[in-house]
Amino acid sequence: MVENIDNSKELHTWEILHGHLVNHMQERPHFMPSGRLKSRKKIDYRQVIENASRSMIRFKKPERLIKMIVRVITEQVGVNHAGVLLYRDNKRSYVLIDSKGDIGHKIPIGYIRIPQVNPLVSIFSEKKSFLFDERGVLTADNLKIVLKDKELLKKHQELKEKINQIRKEMELLNANICIPAYFKRKLLGILILGPKTSGKKFDSEELGFFVTLANDAAMAITNAQLIENLQDKVKEVAMLYEREHRLFIHTSIALAAAIDARDPYTSGHTERVTHYSLCIADELNEKKEINNFEKFKEDLHIAALLHDIGKIGIRDNILNKRRLLTRSEQQIIMKHPAIGAAILQPIRELGDIIWAVKHHQEKHDGSGYPAGLKGDEIHLMARIISVADTFDAMTTDRPYRKKKKAIAAVKEIEKQAGKQFDPEIAEAFLRAYKKGVVI
Amino acid sequence: MMKILVVDDERDVCDFVSNFFGLRGFQVFCALNGEDALQISKTQDPLIVLQDIRMPGIDGVETLRRMKEARPNNRVIMVTCVEDIERVEDAKKYGADGYITKPLVLNDLVKAVNDAVTKLKPNVTKE
Repeated sequence: MVENIDNSKELHTWEILHGHLVNHMQERPHFMPSGRLKSRKKIDYRQVIENASRSMIRFKKPERLIKMIVRVITEQVGVNHAGVLLYRDNKRSYVLIDSKGDIGHKIPIGYIRIPQVNPLVSIFSEKKSFLFDERGVLTADNLKIVLKDKELLKKHQELKEKINQIRKEMELLNANICIPAYFKRKLLGILILGPKTSGKKFDSEELGFFVTLANDAAMAITNAQLIENLQDKVKEVAMLYEREHRLFIHTSIALAAAIDARDPYTSGHTERVTHYSLCIADELNEKKEINNFEKFKEDLHIAALLHDIGKIGIRDNILNKRRLLTRSEQQIIMKHPAIGAAILQPIRELGDIIWAVKHHQEKHDGSGYPAGLKGDEIHLMARIISVADTFDAMTTDRPYRKKKKAIAAVKEIEKQAGKQFDPEIAEAFLRAYKKGVVI
Repeated sequence: MMKILVVDDERDVCDFVSNFFGLRGFQVFCALNGEDALQISKTQDPLIVLQDIRMPGIDGVETLRRMKEARPNNRVIMVTCVEDIERVEDAKKYGADGYITKPLVLNDLVKAVNDAVTKLKPNVTKE
């Protein structure tokens, strides 16, 4: 919707600039002293307008529009200097952001500002109509006329003092004309113009033209600010999401560390299972079951970190037992996936991650626990963690057995494809292993 | 006619300030760098100096130091930026007579120069 307004506004500026300047050139031949110069100037000006309007279509850079306005006014209307002051919140002032003009008359860009508390600003904010002409323009000539109006000055005692203050400000700026640019009554900026190089007065048509330009510039600035604010908001939301996600990951890492700390034999287990799981996932990015690969990996990352969280609920004497477990002890250990799922249940945001934790000990052929699920009944994340978990168990020492060599463990995974493991996942693991990314 | 020296490496600024004070009854000299400024200070003895603090080569503070060393009674107003806090401290040490921060308010510029003029020693202003 904003884009539509932009385009129509832009066309508006273009048409007015175009029409006005063509008129100007036709009416005032003295603008072009020689025929040669005339034709050259005409081409130049068309190019300026065309280039500028092309860049303005998107309206993302109001500075360009302002530059063009200042340039066109100084060169084509013929003033000894022109400048645009825009409100800058950090300076609480109107800062000169663009200017052009004759040597010594051009006010250097960025060199001056007009503070918010200034007669020139306050008069525009007050919108006292009898100081302006009918279009809302402040002209030095008009102020002179008002000063001569004895009756008016009698009625408004403070007026004379105010006008003198404003005249002094305009004199400092060597400004004959000040044109305000508003958005919803807020003064966004001021266009200031010095005297015409021809020595003549500005005519009514010209003043109308300046007001239109100022209004278009105000619209451009406002739109650009709206877009910028919107972009900032989008960035902010993305940052908040990123922060929340990091918080989630770090909390999961802290919990995983708490599990690992209880069992020195499995120290680093969680970290490794997470790594292996993510390696497997990278081999599956073409898989149809995965809608959003980035989101899937983020979830898998957390699921892998939390897969053994249920061991928190297992007594130390069983968890740390250095000999083979008895049957009843084994049954207690086998409760850890269900305990983990129960611990995580209240965290709604975890979604499928809870299924991954609950079923990471299931087997493809249905011989696993806690539910004895088969094949695709087991969540994809659980199937992945299952392979990663088993590989780590085989390649690390346990109190009751020595570790296998990696290559032997890989062979075992291959052998169990279609039995303990989903063959597709086992295959993905083998591919990752062959690439050398696993270890 | 009161002489004023404008020192700024930006030609636009020199041109504008020259014209600005020229219209206000000063005889204005310009320098685009520290070397020229010191030279003009020596030959023309401007009593008021408007000195940009940031300049390539001999910077504003060093120009101030040398100027004040040679002519301690001349008034030097430093034109600074918000980020120049450290350099402003140095300028204070070397006896800068006033400060004005860019983007500046033209009325403040006029005031700073007028203040500097009134602070000149009476026998000097009479010449």
